[in-house]
Amino acid sequence: MSREKDAANYAIVFFVALSVIFLIFPASKLAHTARIAVSYSLYPSMHYGAKYGHFVRNVPVNFLALLETDQENRALKDKVRALELKLQESAAAVSENDRLAREMRLSHALPWTGSWARIINKTPADWYGSFYIDKGSDDGLDVNDTVLGMQEDRAGLAGRVLEVYPKFSKVLLLTNSAASAVCAIAPSGLEALVEGKGTWLLKVNYVPEESALAEGAEITTAPGGLLFPPGIYVGKVKKVYPRESFMNFITADVAPAVDVNTLKEVFVLKRSLPKELLAAVQGASK
Amino acid sequence: MSVLLEILVYLASGGAYWWWTQNLTMFGLAPNLIFAAALSAAILAGPVKGMTWGFFLGLYADMLGSGVFGGYALTYSLMAYGVYVMKHHFDMDSPFSQLVAALVLSWACLLFYQGLSMVFSSINPTGLKIFLAEPFLNALAVPVVFQIFYWLKRQAGIL
Repeated sequence: MSREKDAANYAIVFFVALSVIFLIFPASKLAHTARIAVSYSLYPSMHYGAKYGHFVRNVPVNFLALLETDQENRALKDKVRALELKLQESAAAVSENDRLAREMRLSHALPWTGSWARIINKTPADWYGSFYIDKGSDDGLDVNDTVLGMQEDRAGLAGRVLEVYPKFSKVLLLTNSAASAVCAIAPSGLEALVEGKGTWLLKVNYVPEESALAEGAEITTAPGGLLFPPGIYVGKVKKVYPRESFMNFITADVAPAVDVNTLKEVFVLKRSLPKELLAAVQGASK
Repeated sequence: MSVLLEILVYLASGGAYWWWTQNLTMFGLAPNLIFAAALSAAILAGPVKGMTWGFFLGLYADMLGSGVFGGYALTYSLMAYGVYVMKHHFDMDSPFSQLVAALVLSWACLLFYQGLSMVFSSINPTGLKIFLAEPFLNALAVPVVFQIFYWLKRQAGIL
């Protein structure tokens, strides 16, 4: 027991002496550099604290330079990440600028007057049915105004204004299953009804079976339609279906001129139709 | 073989503390596993080995910290000596006595280290939050660490 006590006393004296030596002579370059290397690897953040000056005293300059390089490297990596984000934002802005410039150029060439509006909301449940635009009655929009979209450097029929509010409006797309337009099929100018199907495709109906309806034929709005001005590009015939035995007309699928999936801005046409005609149009659309 | 195993346990204790402080802190607080290991070793081992463990675990803590170098080594060596003395008067094997000892010794160590820092480098290393909360976390950690060390002692013959 006494031997153990002696050993304990010798041990505590030894360890206290060793610790005090460390405490009194803490700044030997070798010990301090080893310590800073270990702790920097485990706790690099401590070097940003207020104790930095105390911590790095007497550490060789080249080692300090190494630490500073590491910190500089971290800061530069953060900066690079921030710049990459900015670059992505800039690329998006440039792309939007290009698109808007092209659309503006196209709208100047149109024979109709109107105003640009931005699509502000598309409803996933009614993707091919309608969307909202950021212009309303305050901007002079009326119900049944024609809505055009610009696609592949060409204006195409997107739909018509269905509801108008002071600051925004709802647009009924031509692809909506409740929408239709009287159209002319090139080259003969044969008039037929183009209807929405609720999908990305349109359907052309009531085409006489003897007419030469060919795939790829271009369809534009007909002068006979009251809702839309004539000559607006509607789409191209994609597939012609053979006549059913019980029908005396043929139908066809039409690829619309405007792809709603890529549409971001629309051009709303202003038309000055006679009041009586407008009343008839609104009566027909209800 | 047992020396190698002890070195491994020593490194694992320090590594566990470092990992805990990096990943599991709550409100900036974590139990001081190095302290818990030093106290458990002091309870389980004889006086010389207990103090050796305390000294080297203290050095590990000194390496990790930015305070006075050798401060923790001295603190934990003295703590191990204190535990050796206390063991003659108190039963340190039960979890409750370990819990109380951890609570009291944590505060004693924090105050002693604080004093060393003030004397040797005029810096105040311990925040009030740590001073008030860490001893309780240590008190919870010590019985667990003690059981692990006890199991290692029985299985592998360390300490």
